[in-house]
Amino acid sequence: MRKVVISVLGQDRPGIVAAVSRVLLEHRCNIEDVSQTILQSEFAGVFIASIGSGLTPEALRAHLEQALAPIGLLVTVKPLEPRRGAQPPASEPFVVTTIGPDRLGLVAGITEIMADFGVNITTLKAAFRGGDDPRRNIMIYEVDIPSAIDRQAFRQALRDRAAALGLDLSLQHRQIFEAIQSI
Amino acid sequence: MISPAEVLSTLEMLKNEHLDVRTVTLGVSLFDCMSDDLDRLRAKVRRKIERLAGRLVPVCNEIGDKYEIPVVNKRIAVSPVAIVGAPFTAADLVRIARTLDEAAAAVGIDFIGGFSALVEKGFAGGDRPLIEAIPEALAVTRRVCASVNVASTRAGINMDAVLLMGQVIKEAAHRTATEDGIACAKLCVFANIPQDIPFMAGAYLGIGEADAVINIGVSGPGVVKKAIDRAFAADAGLDFGDVSELIKRTAFKVTRAGELIGREVADRLGVPFGVVDLSLAPTPNIGDSVGEIFQSLGLKSIGVPGSTALLAMLNDAVKKGGAFASSSVGGLSGAFIPVSEDLNISAAVEAGHLCLEKLEAMTSVCSVGLDMVALPGATTAETLAAIIADEMAIGVINKKTTAARLIPVPGKKAGDHAHFGGLLGESVILAVADNDASRAFMRLGGRIPAPTQSLVN
Repeated sequence: MRKVVISVLGQDRPGIVAAVSRVLLEHRCNIEDVSQTILQSEFAGVFIASIGSGLTPEALRAHLEQALAPIGLLVTVKPLEPRRGAQPPASEPFVVTTIGPDRLGLVAGITEIMADFGVNITTLKAAFRGGDDPRRNIMIYEVDIPSAIDRQAFRQALRDRAAALGLDLSLQHRQIFEAIQSI
Repeated sequence: MISPAEVLSTLEMLKNEHLDVRTVTLGVSLFDCMSDDLDRLRAKVRRKIERLAGRLVPVCNEIGDKYEIPVVNKRIAVSPVAIVGAPFTAADLVRIARTLDEAAAAVGIDFIGGFSALVEKGFAGGDRPLIEAIPEALAVTRRVCASVNVASTRAGINMDAVLLMGQVIKEAAHRTATEDGIACAKLCVFANIPQDIPFMAGAYLGIGEADAVINIGVSGPGVVKKAIDRAFAADAGLDFGDVSELIKRTAFKVTRAGELIGREVADRLGVPFGVVDLSLAPTPNIGDSVGEIFQSLGLKSIGVPGSTALLAMLNDAVKKGGAFASSSVGGLSGAFIPVSEDLNISAAVEAGHLCLEKLEAMTSVCSVGLDMVALPGATTAETLAAIIADEMAIGVINKKTTAARLIPVPGKKAGDHAHFGGLLGESVILAVADNDASRAFMRLGGRIPAPTQSLVN
């Protein structure tokens, strides 16, 4: 059984997931994972589905486009490839939070440090809306920090970069949020 | 995925509400250090403390960094020295105190507790020498803390010990007269002392405890006050039920944070985790005061009518939240009202809102008792002992811990100021209404019997 990754992008409206999943059902594709989000007014969804041997990814894309293009949605379909190279290194989950006024280059500045240290971002949520409300000017990165790196050096590099960008930055093990916020 | 609201709520507690871990206290049993050779005992004590606590400070700092939650104090509590040093004289026990002080300095901690005796039902071999040694031991060391349990609900009140403690407190103040009697700030007299208190000056390692254990004290009152202020700013119509629920939820969060860090420290040091002490412990900093909570809830000041009711609600809500958060709650676990260590409480005394008698009344509904109370230097030993006896009676009858940490400040009178410095703070000296009016009573001697456990009114 082959698997494909389907991405769907376009202006949000009721019925997008229904439209995608109807096409997949009609072609006997089984959805294994879905994640969707809405940023401002834009819908973005990623589906992983298994497809039967009689269907190619290209043919599936054509079917999806036929159904979704009329409602203004862009679709891509690609085969799901097995992970290349070695397994990810042993790591611990941390949360990086920055709060501070918007300016050009905030995401680029912070993520450059993460990339330099081989720190993988697993979830990112950021919003820059101006004003004083921290909830409207925040970046929250959930990251995996490899156990082998010098965490203090990473923390310091992040802090230095945040200071240069005018941001308040916190780097905390994810467990603290689970301990405090969940029962 | 963690929601932005959860992240922001946690950060708010950390950045603006002073969420921290108030103390991580390593309990160290000294029972396997016992010897009838004083030098051998001292060498073993020092070696054991340095072996077990050598990494306490760096490990606490490292784990504090990992969660960005500071561990404010790192401390050590040892087995009661009256038992460990039972064969020795008072002078010998002072030398043991010096050894504890040196060991504490060597591992980089500020206080070590356990220069203690448990005498609620009577004096054993080492008890009287230890009590006799307390004034000198506290005067010649900086880090050693002493405690004496003179009463319990099951044993009653050892009034001979109470009187003795009145005299010891006078002597300890006299020996540190140039520092406003600071030795007394390191000495607590208890009823129903718990075996696992992480907070000083009452911390010691109980005789039923493990060889080594980590007990922790959670964050202070600043978190609770800010949560109350924020809730009222959002909704001015909150009632007592709402406020109690809010305090409960806040206590839950600080307890969770504390236990997470405490367990990790214990794990890293290879010792068992003991308890979380839920006590709201203030420091002499603005925004870290139990007294300020009273004002946030609509009282003009701590000490005015309504204060006992408010404290009862606060104490109970903290316990409910903490008990839900952790299955390992212990120590004192209540709200502290230490006068000199809480700027707001000290100011309430100065403004005339809070007197010794009201403080005593409030201790019937909270932990821990008459704490860091500066009294006139002329207060007699018998009067000090009588004040202690009253406080012990509250604990014994109500089946709870109470304590007295009284400082008769040499050469000063009611209304003067006493300065203890650092976390011990400063305070105006409270008036004692009737000094030297209890002499004959306190000289009766013997033990007030244990109270009946039925007929509960």
